[in-house]
Amino acid sequence: MASAVHLDGITKRFPGVVANDNVDLEVEPGTVHALLGENGAGKTTLMNVLYGLYEPTSGTVRLDGEPQTFRSPRDAIDAGVGMIHQHFMLVDPMTVTENITLGNEPRKWGGLAVDRSAAREAIVDLADRYGFDVDPDARVEDISVGEQQRVEILKALYRGADTLILDEPTAVLTPQEVDELFDVLEELTAQGKTIIFITHKLGEAMRAADEISVLRDGRKVGSVDADGTTQEELAELMVGREVLLDVDHGTAETGDVVASVSDIVVEDDRGVPAVNGVSFEIRGGEVFGIAGVDGNGQSELVEAVTGLRTPDTGEIRFRGEDVTSASRRDRIDAGMAYVPEDRQERGLVMEFDLVENGLLGSQHDPELAANGRIDWSKTRGHADAIIDEYDVRPPDADAEAHSLSGGNQQKFIVGREFERDPELVVASHPTRGVDVGSIEFIHERLLELRQQGVAILLVSSKLEEVQGLSDRLAVVYEGEFIDVVDPDETTEEELGLLMAGERPGDGGRPEATESEATERDEPADLTDSADGERA
Amino acid sequence: MSDADRSEGESLLKRYSTRALVAGVTIASVVALLLAGLLFPDSLAGTLSDALTSRNTLASALRLSVPIAFAALGGIFAEKSGVINIGLEGLLIISAFSAIYVADITGGVWIGFAGGVVASTLLAALFAVVTIGFRADQIIAGLAVWLIALGLAPFASQVIYSSPNTPTVATTGSITVPVLADLPFFGALFSASPSVYMLFAAVFGSWYVFERTAFGRWIRASGENPKALDTAGVSVTHVRYAAVLISGVLAGMGGAALSLDLGQFTGNGPTMVNGKGFIAIVAYLFGNYNPVGAFLSTMLFAGLDALQTVLQLQGIGIPRQLIRITPFVVVILVLALVGRTRLPEAAGEHYDTEE
Repeated sequence: MASAVHLDGITKRFPGVVANDNVDLEVEPGTVHALLGENGAGKTTLMNVLYGLYEPTSGTVRLDGEPQTFRSPRDAIDAGVGMIHQHFMLVDPMTVTENITLGNEPRKWGGLAVDRSAAREAIVDLADRYGFDVDPDARVEDISVGEQQRVEILKALYRGADTLILDEPTAVLTPQEVDELFDVLEELTAQGKTIIFITHKLGEAMRAADEISVLRDGRKVGSVDADGTTQEELAELMVGREVLLDVDHGTAETGDVVASVSDIVVEDDRGVPAVNGVSFEIRGGEVFGIAGVDGNGQSELVEAVTGLRTPDTGEIRFRGEDVTSASRRDRIDAGMAYVPEDRQERGLVMEFDLVENGLLGSQHDPELAANGRIDWSKTRGHADAIIDEYDVRPPDADAEAHSLSGGNQQKFIVGREFERDPELVVASHPTRGVDVGSIEFIHERLLELRQQGVAILLVSSKLEEVQGLSDRLAVVYEGEFIDVVDPDETTEEELGLLMAGERPGDGGRPEATESEATERDEPADLTDSADGERA
Repeated sequence: MSDADRSEGESLLKRYSTRALVAGVTIASVVALLLAGLLFPDSLAGTLSDALTSRNTLASALRLSVPIAFAALGGIFAEKSGVINIGLEGLLIISAFSAIYVADITGGVWIGFAGGVVASTLLAALFAVVTIGFRADQIIAGLAVWLIALGLAPFASQVIYSSPNTPTVATTGSITVPVLADLPFFGALFSASPSVYMLFAAVFGSWYVFERTAFGRWIRASGENPKALDTAGVSVTHVRYAAVLISGVLAGMGGAALSLDLGQFTGNGPTMVNGKGFIAIVAYLFGNYNPVGAFLSTMLFAGLDALQTVLQLQGIGIPRQLIRITPFVVVILVLALVGRTRLPEAAGEHYDTEE
């Protein structure tokens, strides 16, 4: 019945980036296997290979020992592999039954009509067999997200899937729905289905999986039995020890308080508080780092500071003034620079050339655009200066942003933001998906700014990075600062424990209440694939 | 449980109430008018209700409806699949001319009819290749279809017949059902051009395709969430090509019916099509992409036009231009104020199969 999945030496290259590097994966039949890793670790790419969306550069996929060649999802579906994407593939105005049977409608009258009663019956039977609670006649747009997910699972089962891949299945669910989902997974494996689910949440992997494989930077760094591991071990595997970057930390004079955040609560897109009463202040010449596993409120915190999201309570002050509800433009004008975590979504307009991209955020700057007219020759000079100063390659201001590699895109954004003469730089995962050379370059520039007395808020899930660059380091867990430490006096192991939510001194995990126990996710950054690196 | 029930009830109410309101008000005012006309036969209301209940009004409303409703059905197929076909006007023009030309050279009315359909389908195929194959902007390509036909048809007529207007050929005539045709008012339904009956069949057929067949569901999915259709293993490209070609066939039937009803193509100014393709777009929007709704909206617009003509004969002059803009005013009101027409989610967007 069940298919055992074997991936042998899967390598998937995209122009300029290796998304999967010689990954082996073995999944036992009838088990739940969690694929754990940071965003960008290559989890989704690997599963897209298994689902036939990508053809691997090298390596083989075997099901039940049989080598398979999937040219499209259709091939994978025919071989019994189903995938439930993060963004549901459902047609909103159609009913549950219509969605599940789409493309495989039972026919009658020689194919001239859909046999609607047969379709409905099939769905009711299927739902009964796996104990799903869905209304076959409801329109998809009228049902909850949790129900929509069950519809997606039913869709895969209706097509005869024996192996189900779920991509970040809990990201969009409420805590109750997560519980229900895990019950569903249990029922499915009990009936012989094999399940692989992608997650970056340690707790969920431990809770739902039988076995956990951890990916980091496109490589598999380990497979462990869920019963024989700890969150700390997993956190270490996930974050890991990277190429040691020799950051000359040095010391800098700290000046006045540039920015302060007091007791802010920020809700995520679902209206659940993602940041829960966080306070800190940053002085000039200081790097304040925030470490933590992705999805613990970092994105929402950064969005609140930069003005992309309004906090529900609390106050944000910048250079002595209350900017809690100030606009982006006011904050930019006041000297706040922002390196966003998703460069393609928020950092650049991919179809614009570098001249135009260099103007973004400065379109009201009288230097470049006086009286509502853009001075293109100055703007071009501005872009050329960034390209020159930040070693953007190819050095061509007319190149469109999408033609640059991820590292060069990032260097251009960093250059544009750092050239604003900022008082505060908010850098969110500034080196994510960037090659080693560019990482070092960006780190050096950050430290240069610090030397000049600029305040820096650095958010990163790379332990090496935050530890190496920060003067003070806060560890965030479930929207709260677990502790603020001196990074030089703290070991990686201690940080790993903090990141897993273990408070210093109390020797145990905080007993979170039921509603707080769900780990947060980042709605803006759900795509864990190498798409971001493709030119 | 009760919460869920209530919210479902509310969403049902939201979905249908405004449209129902419009229909209700229309029916109520017509009934009121007829009553007033019955009570005071000599008043304006009397004249109006006379005109409204006249068999001629229905007959001419039906005749005016044919090209518009055919084009509207075609527009529904294309747009539901995700391709906005604003070139319907052009398809009507090209088929109206081609039908006369083919009928003229072959001497067969129905061969001419088929010729019109083929011409329109070919132009729609060109539109499909440009928008689906080469991913051109649908609006611009649709305007091009209109402008090409608007220039080409009168030009061809000029070259062939030395005049933008063609000579007259035989018409499609009419089919009369004995006895029933003598009914007051509704008799018009039983003594009409064959194209009227073809339209009835097309309305039902389109409804059936969308509501009952797998292909109809694929068209809907292709316009709402093409990715869902693609991952279900159905080619979005094939579905969209098919839908646009069907829109060409249907619009072609409308154009051919229009010119063959008169036996002549007139190509002066905006040609004899004169905006019917655009009213068709309004009609299917007003009809919320439902074939039956689109047909009823067409009848409403055509009915107003017919009524105006009848009243003109009775000496009550309402400027024709005023009547002609009614559909557009109505659609702006419907789209802006009522806002119940829900465009397919992916309408106008290209679909990229490679992920």
